[in-house]
Amino acid sequence: MSVIDVRNLGKTYRTIEKEGGVKGAIKALFRPQYREKVAVHDLNFQIDAGEIVGYIGVNGAGKSTTIKMLTGILYPTTGAVTVLGHDPQRERVANARNIGVVFGQRSQLWWDLALIESLNLVANIYEVEPSRYKQLLSHFSEVLELDEILKTPIRSMSLGQKMRAELAAAFIHEPKIVYLDEPTIGLDVMVKQRIREFIKDYNQTHNTTVMLTTHDLGDIEQLCSRVIIIDAGSKVYDGPLHAIKQQFGKYRTITFETNQPITNVQLPPACEQLSLSEYSLELKFDRSQLSASQVATALMQQIDVADFTLNEPDLESIIKHLYQNPTAYNEVAVNE
Amino acid sequence: MNKLAYRLRIYRSVVGMNIKEMLAYNLWFWSQLGAHLFLTIVYVSFWKALYSERETIAGLTMQQTLTYIILARMIAPLVQWGYTQEFGYWIREGTISSELLRPVDFQERIFIGHLTRTFVALAQQLLVTGSFAVLVFDIRLPTDPLIWLSFLISLLLGCSILFCFDWIFGCVAFYSTEVWGLQVVRGSILMLFSGVLLPLTMLPSGLQTLAQWMPFAQSVSIPVSLLSGITPLDQLGSIWLQQLAWLAVMLMLSRLMFNFSVRKITVQGG
Repeated sequence: MSVIDVRNLGKTYRTIEKEGGVKGAIKALFRPQYREKVAVHDLNFQIDAGEIVGYIGVNGAGKSTTIKMLTGILYPTTGAVTVLGHDPQRERVANARNIGVVFGQRSQLWWDLALIESLNLVANIYEVEPSRYKQLLSHFSEVLELDEILKTPIRSMSLGQKMRAELAAAFIHEPKIVYLDEPTIGLDVMVKQRIREFIKDYNQTHNTTVMLTTHDLGDIEQLCSRVIIIDAGSKVYDGPLHAIKQQFGKYRTITFETNQPITNVQLPPACEQLSLSEYSLELKFDRSQLSASQVATALMQQIDVADFTLNEPDLESIIKHLYQNPTAYNEVAVNE
Repeated sequence: MNKLAYRLRIYRSVVGMNIKEMLAYNLWFWSQLGAHLFLTIVYVSFWKALYSERETIAGLTMQQTLTYIILARMIAPLVQWGYTQEFGYWIREGTISSELLRPVDFQERIFIGHLTRTFVALAQQLLVTGSFAVLVFDIRLPTDPLIWLSFLISLLLGCSILFCFDWIFGCVAFYSTEVWGLQVVRGSILMLFSGVLLPLTMLPSGLQTLAQWMPFAQSVSIPVSLLSGITPLDQLGSIWLQQLAWLAVMLMLSRLMFNFSVRKITVQGG
C-alpha cells in the first residue's frame, strides 16, 4: 500500500532578474523583470510502506524542492501530494506528526541549547510516552553514540556530532515516514557508516518508509533497493537499483599491458578503443554481444600480452555517465 | 480538554526553552541594560530641565511625567524591535522550513516564546531600572496591587496586539525577502506614536488622533499611563474593551496574512 502518492506534481519559481550595478537594482525596483523557472515538472510516483527510496539527480535537478513539497513546506504549482492520506500543505500539523525530516544543510535543533533539552522538547511536542522516550533515548545514545554530546549545545558540536543529533531528533517520535535530505554531506567515513547502519536498522525494525536524497552513491548502494532519478525537474528513471546496473552497466572495459610497443591492432566487432599508449590499450565492449574471453583471445593473437585487467562499471561511473548524457535516460526507459 | 492539556504542556516547555535561550546570552542582556540605564538618566535630566521653568506641561506635573517616562523607558526595549528582524531572518536563511515542520501551530508557538521573552525582560527591567528609579530619582511607584494587576493585563493585551501587527509586517518578508528597511521605519514610527519619547497627551491633537489609530500606543502609552496614574482606574473597563477589539482585529488579519503569504514561500539555499 502506498504511503506517499505524488501526482502530476509541479513547481515553478518566479524570480526577479536584475541587471548588474546600481542602475540595474533601481530598474528592478520599478520595473521588475520576472523569470519563471520550472523546478519540478509533472512528477508522478508512489512509495510503499517500509521502502527505502534513493532520490538522486545533479545539483538543481529539483530534489530538495520535491522533498519540501512532500513535507508540506512548499506549495506545489500544479498537481497533488498525499502522504498517509493527508494533504501536507492543508493539513500541515497532522502531516508533521507522521514524519521526521533531516536537512543535511540546516539544523532543526535549538542552536543555543544542550541536545538533551532539544530532545526533551521534541518528545514533548510529539507526545512521546515518557517510558518509551527513555527507552528510545538510551537506544539512540548507544547506536549514535550520543552520551558524550547530550549536554553540549548544538552550536559547539562538530558536523558529525550535529548530524547524529539531528537524526536522533528526527526519529525520537518514531515517525512513519522519514525524509533525509543529504544526511551524510561532509561527514567522514566512520560517521557515514554509523548513520547508514542506524537508518537501515531503524527501517528494518520499524518498517519506516525512508526517502533519501544524496550525492553519495555509497548511501544508495548500502541502503536503497529502489532509485528515482530526476533531471531538470522531470523523473527520468524509477526502478530497482540493480536494473540501473544491468541497463547501463552493459559496457565493460578491459586494459591490456604489453612488453612491446602496440601497433596495428584489429578490434573485434562491438568493441571500441578508449585509449592507446605505447604499452597499454584500453577497450570498451558490450557484454551482451561479446564475452571478456573472446576479446582477450582476439587480442592475444595479435599482440604479446603481459597482463590484462577487466573492469566492471561501478554505480558511480554509471550515474556519472547518465548525468553527463541525459539522452541515455531514454535508453533505460525503453529497456525498462 | 485533552487538547488544552496538551497545549499547556507544550507551552510550558516552550516557556522553559525560551528562558534558557535568553540566559545563554545573558551577558549581552545586562550590558544592554547598562546602556539603557544611561539613556534613562539623560531623558530624566532633559525633562527636569524642561520643568524648571513651569509647573505643568499639558496638564501633567513633573512627578507624573518623570514616573511616566521612566516606566515607558522600561517597557521600550521590550517592544522597540519586535521580532520582525528574526522573522525576516527565518525566511531569508530558509530556517522557516524547520519551524513549519513542527506539529504545533506556528504562530501560537512563536507568540508564547515572544511573550516569555517580553515578561522575563520586564522582570529584569523592573528589578534594575525600577530600583534605580525609586532609589536615585525618588520616583514613587504605586503600591496598590490592583494597579499593578491592571497594568500587567493591559501590557499583556498591548504586547499581543503588537505581536499580531509585527506578524503581518513579518509576512511581507515572504514577498520581499528582506525586512530590515521596514523594521527601521517601524522602529521610528513606534518611538513617537507609542509614547516612549513623551506622554501622548503632549502631542498636537492631530498627531494624538493618528496615534490612536496605530497599534503602538496599546503596548506602551496605555499600560504605562495606568501605572503612572495618568489614567485613573475607573476607565479600566473601556480601556480593556478597546484593547480586546484591537486584538481581535489584528489577530484575524495576522492569521489571514500568514495563511495567504506562506504560499509564496521559497526556501532559500538547498
